[in-house]
Amino acid sequence: MTVGSTQGHLPPRKISRAKPLVIPPLARTLYLTSLWVPLIGLGLFFLYPLALIVQRSFVQRDGNLGFGNYIDVLSMGHILGVVRNSLVMSGLTTLICVLLGFAIAYLLQRTRARLRWVISIALLLPLLAPSLVQALGLIFLFGRNGLISQATGWNLQIYGLWGLVISNSMYALPQAVMIIQASLRQSDTRQYDAAMMLGATPWRRFVDITLPNARFGLLSAAFVCFTVTITDFGNAAVIGGNYRVLATEIYAQVVGQMNFNMGAVIGILLLIPTLMAFYIEKVAAQRHTSGATEGAMPVAPDRRILRDIPLGILGYGTAFFLIAVVATVVYASFVTLWPYRLDLTLRNYNITAQGGYGPLWVSLIVSTQAAAIGTLMLFMLVVSQRRLGRGMAKAVYLLAIVPVGVPGLVLGLAYVLSFNVAGAVPGMLYGTTLLIALCNFYHYHSQGFLTMVTGIRAVPAQLEETVTCIGGNTLQGLRDVVLPVMLPTLVAVFFFLFMRSMVTLSAVIFLITPRLSVGAVSVLRLDQAGFATQAAAFSVCIMAVVLIALGLMKITLAVVSRRPQAAK
Amino acid sequence: MRQTRTRLSASLVVSSLLAAPAISGEITVYSALEDEEIAAYLEAAQEAMPDLTVNVLRLSTGNLGARLIAEAGNPQADVLWGFAVTNILNPAIYDLLDTYAPESIDDLPEQFRDADNRWFAPIGYMGAFCVNTMRLEQIGAPMPQSWADLTDPAFEGEIVMPDPGSSGTGFLQISAILQGAGEEAGWQLIQDLDPNMAQYTTSGSRPCRMAQVGEYTVGASLSFVAMQGIEQGFPLEMVIPSDFAGFELEANALIRGSSNAEDARRFLDWTLSESAAQVYSENKALITLPGVPRSPLAAQAGLPDDLSEVLFPMDFATSGAQRDAIIERWRELVGR
Repeated sequence: MTVGSTQGHLPPRKISRAKPLVIPPLARTLYLTSLWVPLIGLGLFFLYPLALIVQRSFVQRDGNLGFGNYIDVLSMGHILGVVRNSLVMSGLTTLICVLLGFAIAYLLQRTRARLRWVISIALLLPLLAPSLVQALGLIFLFGRNGLISQATGWNLQIYGLWGLVISNSMYALPQAVMIIQASLRQSDTRQYDAAMMLGATPWRRFVDITLPNARFGLLSAAFVCFTVTITDFGNAAVIGGNYRVLATEIYAQVVGQMNFNMGAVIGILLLIPTLMAFYIEKVAAQRHTSGATEGAMPVAPDRRILRDIPLGILGYGTAFFLIAVVATVVYASFVTLWPYRLDLTLRNYNITAQGGYGPLWVSLIVSTQAAAIGTLMLFMLVVSQRRLGRGMAKAVYLLAIVPVGVPGLVLGLAYVLSFNVAGAVPGMLYGTTLLIALCNFYHYHSQGFLTMVTGIRAVPAQLEETVTCIGGNTLQGLRDVVLPVMLPTLVAVFFFLFMRSMVTLSAVIFLITPRLSVGAVSVLRLDQAGFATQAAAFSVCIMAVVLIALGLMKITLAVVSRRPQAAK
Repeated sequence: MRQTRTRLSASLVVSSLLAAPAISGEITVYSALEDEEIAAYLEAAQEAMPDLTVNVLRLSTGNLGARLIAEAGNPQADVLWGFAVTNILNPAIYDLLDTYAPESIDDLPEQFRDADNRWFAPIGYMGAFCVNTMRLEQIGAPMPQSWADLTDPAFEGEIVMPDPGSSGTGFLQISAILQGAGEEAGWQLIQDLDPNMAQYTTSGSRPCRMAQVGEYTVGASLSFVAMQGIEQGFPLEMVIPSDFAGFELEANALIRGSSNAEDARRFLDWTLSESAAQVYSENKALITLPGVPRSPLAAQAGLPDDLSEVLFPMDFATSGAQRDAIIERWRELVGR
């Protein structure tokens, strides 16, 4: 009850959201801009390409429109098995990532365990290393002729379901942690204090306060893990062995058999899991259960041995595993001939692929564009959608969340269909870094959106409105109320988009031109040509560049965010 | 004075516009050839046609095909260079091609070019096994010489080959077996091989890459993929299967609607020229252009002067037409 009384006489949020007070014209322009620019972006760079794919899925072999391709796909003899495989694989991966992700996010956000930064950095590794090379790292370690098999004589079987679950978990876990951590940031220590005074045990407080508050983050994380792994093709191709999944099937149809339209059908079918979004949106709408209140005081991390030791084992264990895989890649990049001549050399860093290190710098430009545009657009969308009416907010929400269900290969080809058009103006973007950047941003739009939505729930809406009402304009409201709370989330999203853009491959492969290629494509080329150690070396360079870039950004951020305090 | 200057500069612009194509042309080429090969060819092409700038986009056959189909509404490339014939015969690609017969097209035997002059193929590659000699010793199996040898139980779980549904290389191998052994015996052989197959991979080069690092003993792949591995020093031996060595042609074609058609034709002419043949003989094991000496690579691979002795005469049109049915049946048979 103490909790409720802190809200005092302030009106319930539902009413305050609907209030059409006299809004100053500037604020109104700002609001409309920040709503419509991201929405038009989504329409142009996501909905329109997707619509073209939907259209292709109905073009039958005879050229007429109809359900022929859908019937063909559903009557393929092996399709049921493939669907089942996909569901089992993504289900297992989701379970692992949400449980482990929650434990790690809790460890990072609510405890004072030592060396948490090691875990944070370890979690970055799967995001900033090309997934192809990560899969190679797993094989170098756990393969039939990997380091562990050689050392112990065991006959490990990494290829198949478990290899796929492990490699996909590595890919999805950091994204789960990012979202869940954002949900754990929004906590109110007064709730816990009140519960403690009422005699609730730590376990009760966890079950009755922490879990319900984190429910939205957990659901969102589960959604992302499931969809992101069911659409991912890279790991399935390298480490999946004979375990066929839907993403492999799209590849077989489009790339293997050139049945473009059949591939489109499977791409559309893969959107079905995104229907889960309806449910998540419903949870998100129940703001009164977990929305932050004015004057909320964040929970101070504490120490509790019985809780921290098991959490620590999970956290450090995971970190150790992630670091071991990437360390193997780094090691392999200095080896003469993996795994036969392990003497060290720098020769692998003399890249022989087309363009040498050139594509790496293109990646850097693309990623900066994607992260800057993406963070800004998402921030505008998330801030403005808070003020929307129920129905409209729901529509925006669903639209923003669907991109995660579109496989990269489908998105890339959809971009070719959409933007490779005759005429100077509409075709202007084709073959530019900007189009690749936009493609990358919309590819990862959902994760960024969900993280931001989770994060902004920590901003008390009353406070924002109070600032506006007492004469502060919307900009001041943003600067003084929203930004300080949102800053860690904004930074997390920026880094996420930046890192993924550096290494994502499946969509980008269709957007490069003779003069414009990116680092991830070089890694693929080197591996295909049999230069696995060179591919590892190139990946190490990508990782190093990303880490340096992130470091510089962190320093800049620290300098910039210190300034307002000095002014006070 | 002012007027003169305007006229002068205008005439300069006009003359430079007129002169531009003659001075330097630029074409965009989509190719599925290997990076190293492309570099060698372009060097020779540069020498033969110093005024022509060739911009190459290199992707694997499958990715390139998907891209061509997606770009069909507004083709970006002028030339398709070194692209698998089986894929070219797919109507979605074939319909994108223009007819063009280079001057010296008659040099090329008829089976290596399109009756309608949409493509011609001066080079190609063969199916080959990559055998890891160290692992072979470990498992104590004899060096396999043919597909039939691979049915030996000693190879159980030690062979990797590409999935014919995802990889052109896989399809090439399956159709070579089916055409060579005949329908019934061919499917039987495929079924007999299945228990020994550890994996059917999505990519055509992956089986060899796995064999070269010792993950498996034998990887069924392509000749040039094997050569790349051997060149780097892996304990690898290349075996051209003595029973059914499938092969694939790498075709060149003019893309319909090319805005640089004249230069594109010039480049296509060059691919049949002496200058190109010289580089083929240094890089290719399978050359269909007559009169080109057998390459050191071919000799290294143990190929005879007359390739028809080892290569099965493949019928690309038939296997292309039956492609979907073959893949469907294959999937049912192996059940993976």
